[in-house]
Amino acid sequence: MCAHQCYQRLSSNTLKFATLPNNACINLCDLNISRWLEAHSDRSAGLTTFARNVILADVSGDGDYKLVLTDVRIQTDKRSRLKVYKGTLLTSDQVLPDVPSSVISFYTDDLEPRVPAVAVACSSDLLIFKNNKPFYKFCVPPGPLTPLEEECWKLFAEPNYDTQKLITDLKSVNFNQLSGRSQELLNLQPNQAQEYIQRYVGITPIKTSPIVCMSTLNRSSQDALAVACPVLGTEDGIIYVLDPQIFTVLHQANVCNVKSTPTIIKTTGMYDVEFRIVVACRENSICVLRRGWLEGKPVVQLNEDIIDLLLIPGDNFIIIGTTSKMLHCYTKRGQRVWSAATVNAITCLCLVPLKHLSTHLIAVGLKGGSVHLYHGRQTVDYTNSPDTPSAMVFGQLGQEEHVMVIITMGGTINFKILKRTADFNLSNQDKLSVPTLQSKPLPLPKRSKLFIEQSMRERQDPMQMHQSFQQDLVNLRLTAARALVQNLTEQSGAGNAEEQVKLSAQILGLGPKFTLILTLENMNGDKAVSNFSVVFHAKPTIYKLSSYLSTVPLIPPGLSYKLETKVTEVLKSGEEQLPGQAIRVFVIRKGQAHPVLAATINMPPTEITTLLFIFSQKFKSACEKMRAFSKRPPDSDILEVYSFYKQATLGDINIPKPSDIQGRAKWEAWNGKKGLAADLAKQKYIEKVQGLSGTYA
Amino acid sequence: MGLFTKFVYLLGVRKKEVNVLVVGLNNSGKSTVVNHFKNEEERVSEIVPTVGFSVERFQNQNLAFTAFDMSGHGRYRDLWEHYYKDCHGIIFVVDSSDRLRLVVVKEELDLLLQHPDICNRKLPILFFANKMDCKDALSSVKIAAGLGLDKIMDKPWHIAASNALTGEGLQEGVEWLTQQIRDVILSKN
Ligand SMILES: Nc1nc2c(ncn2[C@@H]2O[C@H](COP(=O)(O)OP(=O)(O)OP(=O)(O)O)[C@@H](O)[C@H]2O)c(=O)[nH]1
Ligand SMILES: [Mg+2]
Repeated sequence: MCAHQCYQRLSSNTLKFATLPNNACINLCDLNISRWLEAHSDRSAGLTTFARNVILADVSGDGDYKLVLTDVRIQTDKRSRLKVYKGTLLTSDQVLPDVPSSVISFYTDDLEPRVPAVAVACSSDLLIFKNNKPFYKFCVPPGPLTPLEEECWKLFAEPNYDTQKLITDLKSVNFNQLSGRSQELLNLQPNQAQEYIQRYVGITPIKTSPIVCMSTLNRSSQDALAVACPVLGTEDGIIYVLDPQIFTVLHQANVCNVKSTPTIIKTTGMYDVEFRIVVACRENSICVLRRGWLEGKPVVQLNEDIIDLLLIPGDNFIIIGTTSKMLHCYTKRGQRVWSAATVNAITCLCLVPLKHLSTHLIAVGLKGGSVHLYHGRQTVDYTNSPDTPSAMVFGQLGQEEHVMVIITMGGTINFKILKRTADFNLSNQDKLSVPTLQSKPLPLPKRSKLFIEQSMRERQDPMQMHQSFQQDLVNLRLTAARALVQNLTEQSGAGNAEEQVKLSAQILGLGPKFTLILTLENMNGDKAVSNFSVVFHAKPTIYKLSSYLSTVPLIPPGLSYKLETKVTEVLKSGEEQLPGQAIRVFVIRKGQAHPVLAATINMPPTEITTLLFIFSQKFKSACEKMRAFSKRPPDSDILEVYSFYKQATLGDINIPKPSDIQGRAKWEAWNGKKGLAADLAKQKYIEKVQGLSGTYA
Repeated sequence: MGLFTKFVYLLGVRKKEVNVLVVGLNNSGKSTVVNHFKNEEERVSEIVPTVGFSVERFQNQNLAFTAFDMSGHGRYRDLWEHYYKDCHGIIFVVDSSDRLRLVVVKEELDLLLQHPDICNRKLPILFFANKMDCKDALSSVKIAAGLGLDKIMDKPWHIAASNALTGEGLQEGVEWLTQQIRDVILSKN
C-alpha cells in the first residue's frame, strides 16, 4: 500500500494527520462540495439509542416512510420509549415496559393495504406493534432450571428453612444459569431477602433468556415488501426464526457448539428456499447458520471486539468493524478479502445501498463525529455528524429515498439527504484500483463445466447434434418469419430501425366519432428525438379529423408520446363507399422531404356505413334481377319500376316532357314520384321488384 | 410584427401558443395542479405518479398553454433540462408540508437556475407552495426564505400558496404567469 499522507480536516476543527491509501487521499482532497444536503438537525432531541434500534419503515402503509427508534433509559425511575418521526417531526411516543435491545419491522402478510409490523425486543418478550398500537406479544420459551436452583426454591416453601444456607447454595450455581428471580434475589440486601422470598413462595421460577439481538429473514420472496420472519437471538445462545403471522417458532438452533452469546444477527436469502444467518458473538467469533442446521458453524474468530457487522447483498461479504479501528471484509465462508484501518474509533456501521449506481457503500461512524463512506476498502466520501454517532440508518424517509439519519451520543438527531448528482467518482475509481494478485488456482465455474461437458457430448455424437441443431435453427427461422408476416399484416405497429422510433395506433369508439391515439415511441437508448411532426391523410369525403398536422415535442430516450386525434366519419347516403377506410399517417422531420415513418391505419367500419353499403348492394342486385326477368311484366308495373329507378338514381325529374306516347308515359310516371327521397325510392324499388319476381322471374 | 398584429395581441384577440414547464419534486402535486387547469370534462378523477412526463393543454385569457408535466421522481429529474429551451415559463410546485425535503427543492431549483438554457433568460417562474391545507405546512413566506427566492434578480417570480385539491390559489398564480408571458411576448416583438 502506498502510504501517501494527507491532511484531513475533521469535525473537531483541528488538523489531524492521517495515513490513507493513495486514491482515498485524492478523493478526500477534492471534496470541496459535499455530496450530502443537510436537511435538519435537532440538538435538543435528547435521544439515547444504539445501533439496530433505529429503522425506517412505512409503518402507516401510505408510502410516507417513518423513522422508528427507541429512546433508551437505563435509570430505574425513567422508562424507555418507542418513538416515531414523520419527516423531521416526532409524531408518536410510547412507553416501553423494559429496556429495549433491538427494533425491527417486517410485513406479516400480503393483505392490502400493506402495513408492516414493528417489533421491539424488551428482555425476553418481543412486543409487536401494528399501526402504532400493541398487536401481539411473543415470549421466548423458558429454558430448563438447574436441579439445585429448583431444589432451593422447593425448600424455601418448607416451614423452617435456612435462608442463608440456601442463598449460599444458589451462589454456587453459575450466575448466568440462574432464573431472573434468583439473580435478583442474589443482588438484594440480606435484610430484603426474606420479604422477597415470601412473595414468590411456592411458585417455581421460570428461567427465560433475554433477547439480545434481532433481524428479519424474507419468507419466500426477495422483494423489498415481501413477508419476512423475525429472527431472534437470546442470551442463552439460541436463535429463533418466528412465523410472521401466528408468531410460533418455525426453526430453532444453537448459535454454535460452544457457548456463544449472539450480539448481532444479519440474514440473507429466503426461509422457504435457502438462507444464511450470520451471527456475531460476544466471544468475537462469527457463526453462520443455514437452512436445516440445528447448530451454527463458526467461520471467523477475531482477536478484537466486534462493534458492528454488515452483510453486503449480492456477494454476501461480511463487513466487521472492530474496537481496534479496523474494518475487515470476509467472504461468506470466512476467508478474509481485505482489511482497512480507520482514522478513528468505529462506533457504528450502516449499509448505503445505491440502486441507481448498482452498488453498496459502507458508512462508518467514527468517534469525534465523522462518517466515512467506503466502497470496498476505498474511502470515497466523508461527511460530518454533530458529534460521535451512536446509530445510523440510510434509506427512504417520507418521500425521499436517500436519507441518512444519524443519532449521536450527545442526543442530537441529524437528517442528511444524498444529492441526486452524487456518483462518488465510482467509474473513475474502478480504473484506479489495482487488481489484487491471485495466488490460488480458481475453481472451475459451474458454467464452464457445463460447456466442457457439452462439447464432450458433441464430439461423441456429432451427427445427431448437428441434426438437432439444424432442426431448431429452421424452427427459429420459421417463427421469426411468421412473426414478421403477422406484424406486416396487422399494421398495428410500424417502426423505423434507423431512427429508432416506433409508431403504434389505437382506435377508440364505434363510430361515427372515433378517437385515434397514436403512440410514438423513442427506442433509442441514449438519444432524444425532436423536430418531428405527424401528418394525417384521409379522404375528406369520408373522414374529418380534428387536426391534420401535429407537432411532436422532444421525446426523451426510452419514452413515448401520445397524440390524440378526433376522427369523424362524414356520412353521405347514396355513395357506394366500402365500409372501413384507411387513414394514412406520416411522421416527418422538420426540413426533410422524405417521411421518417409512414403507416396505414385501417378504420373499422361503422354500423351506419355498413348498413348503407348493404342497402346499396341490395338495390344493385334488384336491378340485375329486373333485367334478367324471363317474362315481361305488364306495362303499368314496368312504368312503376322505371319511375322508382329514376327517382332513386337521378332524383326529381329534370328533363322536359317528350312528345311521343311512350316517352310521355315514362315522364309522367317519373314526375309522379317528385319529392321522394332517394333512399326511400330505392327501398320501394327493391320491394316492387321483389313482388314481381315471384311471377316473372 | 406589424402594427395591426400587435394591436390584435394587445386586445388579446388572437390565440398564442405558449409552453410552460411544470417541475417540482415527486408527490408535490404537479399533476393535480395541471389537472385543475383543464376543462371540467377533460379532468381525470384519479391522479397517479407521472412516469417520464405528460403533455396537457389548457387555456387562460386567450393564451393556449401547453404544459409539460414532468415527473419529479429522482430518476426522471434529468429529463427536465431537455424542455428548458422551448418553454416560455416555469411552474415550480413545492410540497409545503414536506419540511425534510426543502433542501432537496432548493438543490433542484439551484440546478435549474444555473442551467445554460435558463440562466440568461428573463423567464418567469411561478412557485406554488402547494398542500397549504396540510397540518404542518410551511407558509409561502417561509418557503420563499428557505429557497432563497429573494436572490433571483434577473427573472420575474411569484409565489402563491395553493391547495391543488380544491383549486384554491391556483387561478391567482396562473393569472400572474399569463400576464408575465404576455409582457415578454409583447416586448420581444
Ligand atoms: N392535501 C393535499 N394533497 C394534495 C394537494 N395537491 C396534491 N395532493 C396530493 O398529493 C399526491 C401527489 O400528487 P401528484 O399530482 O401526483 O404529484 P406529482 O407532483 O405530479 O408527482 P409525480 O408525478 O410523481 O412527480 C396526490 O395524492 C394528491 O392527491 C394539496 O394541495 N393538498
Ligand atoms: Mg405527476
